[in-house]
Amino acid sequence: MIIILLLFILMLSLFVLNTKDLLHGIIALSAVSLLIALLFYLCNAPDVAITEAAVGAGVSTIVFIGAIRYTERRDK
Amino acid sequence: MIERILLFIMIIVGFWGIVTKHNIIKKIFALNIINNAVVILFVLEGSRIGSNAPIMESGITHIVDPVPQALMLTAIVIGVCISALALSFAFRLYKITGTFDVREIKRQVHHEA
Amino acid sequence: MKKIGTRIFITLGLLPLLLVLLPLFLDGTPWPVAVRNYLELNGVKDSGAINLVSSIYLGFRVFDTLGETIVLLTAVGGTIAVFTRSGAILTDGYYNSNISALTDSEKQMLLDDPSFTLAGEKRLSHVLRTHLIEVVTGVLGPVVLLFGFYLMLYGHLSPGGGFQGGVIIASGIIFLALGNRIGHVNFLTRALVLERIEACAFLLLVFASVIGTAMGEGFFTNPFNFIPGNPASFIVLLNIIIGLKVGAGIGFLCIALVGREIV
Repeated sequence: MIIILLLFILMLSLFVLNTKDLLHGIIALSAVSLLIALLFYLCNAPDVAITEAAVGAGVSTIVFIGAIRYTERRDK
Repeated sequence: MIERILLFIMIIVGFWGIVTKHNIIKKIFALNIINNAVVILFVLEGSRIGSNAPIMESGITHIVDPVPQALMLTAIVIGVCISALALSFAFRLYKITGTFDVREIKRQVHHEA
Repeated sequence: MKKIGTRIFITLGLLPLLLVLLPLFLDGTPWPVAVRNYLELNGVKDSGAINLVSSIYLGFRVFDTLGETIVLLTAVGGTIAVFTRSGAILTDGYYNSNISALTDSEKQMLLDDPSFTLAGEKRLSHVLRTHLIEVVTGVLGPVVLLFGFYLMLYGHLSPGGGFQGGVIIASGIIFLALGNRIGHVNFLTRALVLERIEACAFLLLVFASVIGTAMGEGFFTNPFNFIPGNPASFIVLLNIIIGLKVGAGIGFLCIALVGREIV
């Protein structure tokens, strides 16, 4: 189970770095954080899971969107 | 063992992203990926020596190591602070030069200097 | 030719990194179990908290937490300073502007926009909200704040604590900012209020660290250690202070980042 989740996380990270639209990359980064939170729950670490879910899938996404909002969204 | 190899590949992918990509936002994505990989490594290694969560209700024994979990809490919050600060600098660079591309910024800085 | 040269250069540059990290990852030494054995027997007695992770970052290794709050203060201050000097303005919410200051043509343009009005809703104050934002953020904002306060206060008995409750309080503040009508500002989304809460929480943390010294126990220790039977009140106090600091700081950062820009 943990190995399957780690494979998903690795593939999504490769997608984040190779996409031409930065908004797609930000949403994929949020999905990576959600999978990492699930991994932490499976490793018997509830405190770290709550923090990773709230920070990675919430605050980090907003911070990234705030940076590309008034600038450009495409990566040439 | 396989998990460690996959996390090692993730760290190499992160460093490759910082070196190769020309967009500043992609470099900050790669920084975030390296941070995630290191946090997963610590919590995963600490969870091998036990089988229960470290909440000592009555009758719970053989718990997971709680020290790496406490350290990684701090590391996650500091990681998002570093991303925010790096993105503010990228925003300021865009306002001054008009682009996120590192080669274009280098050319403009060389022209002005 | 230049492209092949760059690729060889990058590969040769990453090769030492590979050679240094690979033995670290393939190492076979077992994880030491001495700390886990000690904490299983004595952790609850020494600090008074059932949640062992809380007892570590608020009892045994509380210096790291002090350092983390300083890093958070620096990062929030630095980000907002660089952002506001580059042409963004600090707003008190997501889109607050004076309704009476808009001209008539602008009001008509907002009312005619087909993508954002609710079905049949023609009041100007409700224009920039879709059904999703109205239901999710406007109604759920106070619920998320309540959940954040609950997690913060019960950190010593169940999974939770200062950091966890703090980031969920920050999410609740962002919900309140996104779900507002045009021209209406909540108390908790004002920039001035969030600044003051964060600064006061940091000051209280510094005071709480010195109280132990004044009572003769030591730096950052429980000042009521002379009462037999270890109460967890100091851990609850530290949880509340850290939760308010993290929540107000990160909430302020996010609201400043989605502020309006001077065009």
